[in-house]
Amino acid sequence: MAVITLFRRYGTLIGFFAIIGFFAWQLPDTFVTPRNLINVSQQISMLAVVAFTMTIVMVMGDFDLSVGSMASLAGVVAAVLFAQGFPVWAGVAAALAVGLVGGLANGFLVSIIGILPFVATLGTLTILSGVAFVVSDGRTIFGRDIPSAFSGFARSGISLEPVGLAGLSLPWLTVIALIVLFIVWFVLEQTIYGRRLYAIGGNREAAKLAGVKVKRLRMSAFALTGLGAAIAGLMYASRVASANPTQGSGLMLDAIAAVFVGMTMSEEGEPRVLATLVGVLILGILDNGLTQMAVDSYVREILVGGIVVAAVAFSSLSKQTR
Amino acid sequence: MSLLAIDNVSKTYGRTRALKGASLTVARGEVHALMGENGAGKSTLIKILAGVVAPDTMEMTVDGRPVALRGAQDAFDLGFRFIHQELNVVAHLSVAENMAMGKPCPRRFGVAVDWPALNAQAHAALDRLGVGHIDPRTKIGRLSAGDQMLVSIAGALSATGEGARLFVMDEPTASLTGDECDKLFAVIETLKSEGASVLYVSHRMNEVMAICDTVTVYRDGRHVATKPVSETGKDQIIRFMTGRDVADAFPPRTTPVGERVVCRVDDVSTEVLCGIDFALREGEILGIGGLANAGQSELLQMLLGLGTRRSGRVEIASAPGLADPSDPWTHGVAYVPRERRREGLMLARPITDNVVLPHLTALSRAGTIAHRRRERALTAEMGGVVRLKSDGLAQPVYQLSGGNQQKVVFARAVGAAPRLLLLDEPTRGVDVGAKFDIYTLIRELSGQGCSVVLTSSELTELIGLCDRILILLDGRQSEIVATDGLTSADLLGRFYDEAHGGHAAA
Repeated sequence: MAVITLFRRYGTLIGFFAIIGFFAWQLPDTFVTPRNLINVSQQISMLAVVAFTMTIVMVMGDFDLSVGSMASLAGVVAAVLFAQGFPVWAGVAAALAVGLVGGLANGFLVSIIGILPFVATLGTLTILSGVAFVVSDGRTIFGRDIPSAFSGFARSGISLEPVGLAGLSLPWLTVIALIVLFIVWFVLEQTIYGRRLYAIGGNREAAKLAGVKVKRLRMSAFALTGLGAAIAGLMYASRVASANPTQGSGLMLDAIAAVFVGMTMSEEGEPRVLATLVGVLILGILDNGLTQMAVDSYVREILVGGIVVAAVAFSSLSKQTR
Repeated sequence: MSLLAIDNVSKTYGRTRALKGASLTVARGEVHALMGENGAGKSTLIKILAGVVAPDTMEMTVDGRPVALRGAQDAFDLGFRFIHQELNVVAHLSVAENMAMGKPCPRRFGVAVDWPALNAQAHAALDRLGVGHIDPRTKIGRLSAGDQMLVSIAGALSATGEGARLFVMDEPTASLTGDECDKLFAVIETLKSEGASVLYVSHRMNEVMAICDTVTVYRDGRHVATKPVSETGKDQIIRFMTGRDVADAFPPRTTPVGERVVCRVDDVSTEVLCGIDFALREGEILGIGGLANAGQSELLQMLLGLGTRRSGRVEIASAPGLADPSDPWTHGVAYVPRERRREGLMLARPITDNVVLPHLTALSRAGTIAHRRRERALTAEMGGVVRLKSDGLAQPVYQLSGGNQQKVVFARAVGAAPRLLLLDEPTRGVDVGAKFDIYTLIRELSGQGCSVVLTSSELTELIGLCDRILILLDGRQSEIVATDGLTSADLLGRFYDEAHGGHAAA
């Protein structure tokens, strides 16, 4: 009985370590190495940023489908400005502003107009994606148009020489993801703002009658999610030293999947950003390990999708029997 | 000879005895009123007649012959027809479709709907009710609530087929205007002249006096009296309904009401309310009374700054203009909503989170960072004040009993030492022990100078707890009465004054 309870409570975490163990066994020389783990951390950093900030709206029981196109648009906006000779800081600032405004627009539609998040952000997904094509003229912006200061950022990091890992460095993209993780954790877990978001998720009507400014908070939360998507878009553009209007589109489903996998770790099924981190790590490690084992990418998708469904199904079954 | 005679009908739900050997006799061709307070057993009796609820014991004869009632089909076969209080319509279907629901529908070629025939059928039924102007093809959701009710009534009447002998109407006029009521009454006259009987359940005394021949009163699941309407009166019926006056279970006021005015409401009108005007002094307990849905909840929410005021002013402890819902809480106003599960609690979250929600800013560091230790301390302290029983403050609220859940909502409300406490049905769905705890708490707060505005559908509660009672008639303030020497019958009588169906239109 105690084993069942343990498994129910920590099933997702046990699964996470089982996956690591499996790859460590199958890939003894290449998987659990500092170089590969650092590589994984960089690979998942964009997804991580989107998933962490997605957690903010999912805490309120909402979600945002437009993050993928928002990331694409942010990358394209920065690249177009670079191509026209604007300095790096201006392109980055404009891209972040686009994320913030787009997020506010989502929040306005959802909280002030009262459209369901699914419908509202499905609409803005399409709009933002169209805008990204218009802004970029449908082309990929790359090569000399992208300043080396911008693309070089993703290739550098903090040297790990002092901790005995000669020749390795902690990529800046990983550092950004960690900073975003800390900020989102602090905001959601330590501030009264975060407590109020959880209250809205717990019972929106009760929160309103207890004096919580529900509309304003929902709008601001969507703005933060939009901002996170824009950051991820910039990270992506920096990493591949180019921008095209579709490059962020894979982020949205993975981010929502990561939050859902994380939610299975909480007793009451609430999103927690540290649990989202576990979800992101599961997706990232599966991707990395299966690629190294030369598993076909379509088979990889089947496996990843199956694991997400299994985790959520297991958690919902164990709640029913409780 | 009587059409329907029921004797010795009993029904127990769990521990609640809804009916205790009650009886009812309805003569042929009469309109028979069934009256009683909430919980008197009227609804249970109607459900038994409809074959929806099986009684524990019942002896029933129709036309003098003993009959058994095993289900809804039996009730239909016996000629019973029902018009329910709640609207059961499918908003995006047409009037005719709604009326035809659950009945055989005219067809073409055995499969296709014969729309002209269906619409003609519906039109005939509507015409009979004097509302032939309603187009059977309109989507029913577009009609006013009153028209929807009339359509439902017309549907029930056209369902009669042959053999309809007893029409049971449960508060049919609840959403009708005066004109619409008159149309319904004309139909009732017609039914009666055709030899059918009507069992008419209503809280509206004037209607009962006007259209009924006989009245039966139930109290606490028992038959109290049956009298010809011509031989009784409003006062006597109310006495039958309320029985005795009970005020003993309430802790008495031990401290005098203060002098300072804490809350002044100056001729406020809203969508629902009209002419609300009172001044509340320190420590005073003001009750809001009236028939169901007369605007009690709206009045409290108006004081909480929700909804828009059409005119008038609200001043709370010299802070005028409460436009924003968050402001009242920070101005010393606290609120306990009517439906704690829907409007009050985050059921899956811990007790602490539920209690501190409106006080997060006050407890925080620098207005930003949550201060868990202070939050837990406040929750522990307030849990003590309301005598909360739990397995620790981290326990999710859904695991608590109804009474303890209500105490969590109270702990939240008293958390910031409120000057004005708004309580919407504070003892709704709460067991007797918790009820007394809540009464005691309200008294204590009042003794400490906190003013209270509360609504209750229990007359004894209003009289036992409150200093004065503001009476609402369909949203309009009719009077404020002191509770000294007030009896339940007296109070209930005031709820009925002028409260006729036609008033809702005003």
